[in-house]
Amino acid sequence: MDTANGDAGSASTTQNGQREDDSNFKLRFCTVCASNQNRSMEGHLRLAQAHYPVISFGTGSLVRLPGPTITQPNVYKFNETSYDSIYRELDAKDPRLYRANGLLNMLGRNRDIKWGPERWQDWQVGLPRVKNETDQGRVGLEGGVPDIVITCEERCWDAVVDDLLNRGSPLNRSVHVINIDIKDNHQDASVGGSAIVDLADSLNRAAMEERERVGSAVFDAGGAGSRASFDERVPEVLGEWQERWPNLPATWTLSWF
Amino acid sequence: MAADSASTPSSNSAVSIAEQLEQLGAARKVALENTTYYDRIVKGVLPIIGPTAPIQLRRWGAEFLAESLATPVLATRDKENLTIAVLDTLKGLLDGAGEDAIVLKASISAAASAYPVAFRWIIHNSYHTESWEQMSAIKSRIFQIWDGAPAPVRLSCIKFAQRVVLAQTPSNGMEQKYNGLDVSLNMMTESHPLLDARQLEAEATGLLDRMLGVLQESSSDALLVDATINCLSILARTRPSTSNRILNTVLNFNPLKLANSPMTPKTKVLVRSLEKTTRMFLTHILRRDPGNQMAGRIQQYVERLTRSRAEIFDEAGRKRALADQATAAYGDAKRQKAETDIPQFSIPPLGPGPHSLAAVFTITNNPGLQAFDVTQLPDHLVSRISVRTLAGIDQKFLDFAISGIHDRLTSLYAAGAAAAAASQPAVINAATAPLGVEEDDDDDYEPDLTPAEDTEQILNKLDNAPPEEAIGSAADAGAALPLGPFTLPPPPTLDPETASKLSQAAAARVFGPLSSLKDPGTGTRRPKAGINRLAASSYDRDSWLTLITRLATRSTAGLDDGSDNSNTIVKAEKTGPSGMSLGDSIRELLFTYILEDWRRRIEIAVAWLCEEWYNDQLAKKSGMVGAGGLNYEKCALRLVDGFLSYITAQDKVLTRFLAEIPELSRPLLGKLKALCADPTTVQLALTSLLYLVMMRPPVREIALDTVAEIWTEYEDARPLAAKYLVKWRPGFIELQTRGAGGEVPPPTSNMAVAT
Repeated sequence: MDTANGDAGSASTTQNGQREDDSNFKLRFCTVCASNQNRSMEGHLRLAQAHYPVISFGTGSLVRLPGPTITQPNVYKFNETSYDSIYRELDAKDPRLYRANGLLNMLGRNRDIKWGPERWQDWQVGLPRVKNETDQGRVGLEGGVPDIVITCEERCWDAVVDDLLNRGSPLNRSVHVINIDIKDNHQDASVGGSAIVDLADSLNRAAMEERERVGSAVFDAGGAGSRASFDERVPEVLGEWQERWPNLPATWTLSWF
Repeated sequence: MAADSASTPSSNSAVSIAEQLEQLGAARKVALENTTYYDRIVKGVLPIIGPTAPIQLRRWGAEFLAESLATPVLATRDKENLTIAVLDTLKGLLDGAGEDAIVLKASISAAASAYPVAFRWIIHNSYHTESWEQMSAIKSRIFQIWDGAPAPVRLSCIKFAQRVVLAQTPSNGMEQKYNGLDVSLNMMTESHPLLDARQLEAEATGLLDRMLGVLQESSSDALLVDATINCLSILARTRPSTSNRILNTVLNFNPLKLANSPMTPKTKVLVRSLEKTTRMFLTHILRRDPGNQMAGRIQQYVERLTRSRAEIFDEAGRKRALADQATAAYGDAKRQKAETDIPQFSIPPLGPGPHSLAAVFTITNNPGLQAFDVTQLPDHLVSRISVRTLAGIDQKFLDFAISGIHDRLTSLYAAGAAAAAASQPAVINAATAPLGVEEDDDDDYEPDLTPAEDTEQILNKLDNAPPEEAIGSAADAGAALPLGPFTLPPPPTLDPETASKLSQAAAARVFGPLSSLKDPGTGTRRPKAGINRLAASSYDRDSWLTLITRLATRSTAGLDDGSDNSNTIVKAEKTGPSGMSLGDSIRELLFTYILEDWRRRIEIAVAWLCEEWYNDQLAKKSGMVGAGGLNYEKCALRLVDGFLSYITAQDKVLTRFLAEIPELSRPLLGKLKALCADPTTVQLALTSLLYLVMMRPPVREIALDTVAEIWTEYEDARPLAAKYLVKWRPGFIELQTRGAGGEVPPPTSNMAVAT
């Protein structure tokens, strides 16, 4: 990924992604990719390091990781396989190969974030997540309902939006579903992670501004741009973000849980 | 935990609000951990979050109510009690004039979850009018707020209306049975004292129109349009009375209207969002409800939308492609001057520095051709071009090109090995290697356990993957082709005998698929492909046999003659200890295969002999006949010998065989004479010969000679032979009888043995 991306996003983020937990209101995020391994987990980690409540999912039918040849991927079941067990299996199979292609490194990171890959379609939205005591980004998402879903590929966005249509929106909760096209490799996932944090910061700022306005003022103010609600400002924030990250095409919709 | 009055904000009360929020948060966590506490905790917080509470508590409270009434951990039945208990507070929150938008949004969301529960409850408990009156009051208050409310509140109003429509229309029973989605007019009894089904449905129809209004007035408010479209799916799928109205409205909606206005970043997001949301909704309906009567219209609409979108958005993509070409200075590919003197070409050795794989194999100097990406061509085209080219290419040029590439690779290998000695080149760039393996399952994501994806897809992806470009700086020649460091262990040495055994085994394996491929004879007759038929292109048993016969006759032609004379087309037979050549092994197996069931496999025999004959002709033409000589005659004789000993009078295939094989010789036809030793097969032999006489003029003379010989040699065959000879070689018999002095000469040999 070239240098056109990433300048704006790193401003508020220190080298290792850690920073002060400086605000009391937090949007809740959910990151989604195909296998819940690389892109969504990079996003999960970076958002958690930025102190956002975050969970993550994959929309594929199975967890697929590269194998010894292009036609022999390593395939695992969602929700039943832990990152740790995948790590140990690949480490036993061919440590040199899987270290060289970065898989062990990635799995090692993932097993410190949460137990294992979860499938979006199997996730029961709103089921309390109080048992996941070691998950990173769990604080604030005990209710199990995020405000923003960020997918990392058009196909995943389609799967998420279609799945939400299929579920029939039983919870009556609006959710912004945003896609950011990130290539599925470690380098682009890392760049994408920065972009996701940048977007999260921008969105959270808009949401906080809405929260700080109290009372009927909002009601009376009508359509003044600066007084617009968070929901209305999402496309605008995303448009501005897109200018900063022109190589990560974004799509947005407002859907329902 | 008494609620502080909102009217006296002070630093003291602010602290206590923060404390209260903390306590409330802890209580919420208890409810999340153990659902049995929900009832108690929700009822417990109601006094604290009422309409007179401070704004922070009201916000928290409204959101907590929305969460509690929506939670999937409680069944609809369990929520009844809870719902009835909160209605009063909800009504209070909604009634407050100038209420905060966040409180309103959450309260209406809670009301949307409460509505189906309250509706179901009143159906079954018609005596309890009070709570239904509260719910109705909430409903009318929400519809009153709807117009003119801030966007987030309107969002919730849309959703509330959707739940009302869902509850007050008859269902087709296709919805999931949880969270009140299944509450519908079907639950109503005709004689409900309080509710009138027709009235309720009329209200639902009106509400649906109001919801759809945002689409009809061609609003460009993407937020509200998206929110509306994204909650219509369940109505269209499970409430048949709403389906037509919804689909008609969506199909009349133009999501690309905004595209005409100036494209600010925000407009781009909005246009894209409206377009994709509309398309997702329609494709969703097409997929989940394929029998929908509007499917055709939906299909058309989606296609049209895709085209318009491509026009609006892909412009940028096209322009970028052109710009890339220009910056790469490939020149104007269309106006490249064609090279006139083709034979003049040289293969320059590659300079130092990294080269892509493509560069190594590129020998043209034409910059336009160098830039051409062959992988863009479809496979079948590539194979056709390759075959044509290989067929027509001058051998000298091919050799020249091969040696040129060979030199390049040798020098690169040397450079690579030298570089590898200094530093291990990264075989895989871990940072940029594609990670996720592409899946080909559609958006449905049915969990299937088919192990891997389409090989072709992966290869395609590989082709498109970037890492083949030159890596690294100019100095490092080794990095270009990381072939250096890895060597396979040498294979065990192979003596001629094992080699021959292995090649026999390999040849035998070629016959393996025949047993699994289905027999074409059993099925219906296949249509004749005619002259345009391409051999071995139908992937059935016939194709495989064609392949085998060609393997036997052509595969090693010109390759395994050990001598120095080049361009030998027919291979020389090596008769060392290694025994047969590969071609002969296959011939041997083919022979056995045919004889195993020769009556049915006679066609294969004919096909094989045709191939042998063709190959012999080529060999003759080139004037290079290998040490083994020509094969056709040998094989034909052997085959005839093989099945003649099994032949019976009914085996008409013999006639056919003789008629179809490409060349007949005296020795071959001579074999037929043996048949006449057996009186039962005399007729077969002579009829076959007669057929040849009549239908194959070129061999008429040989055939007649054979008949004549039969006449001479076999007493028993004379009557029939004579009949043919009289007709086709008049005077022969007279000549014979006269020559023998008026007597019929006795058979000279092969006296028929009575059987």
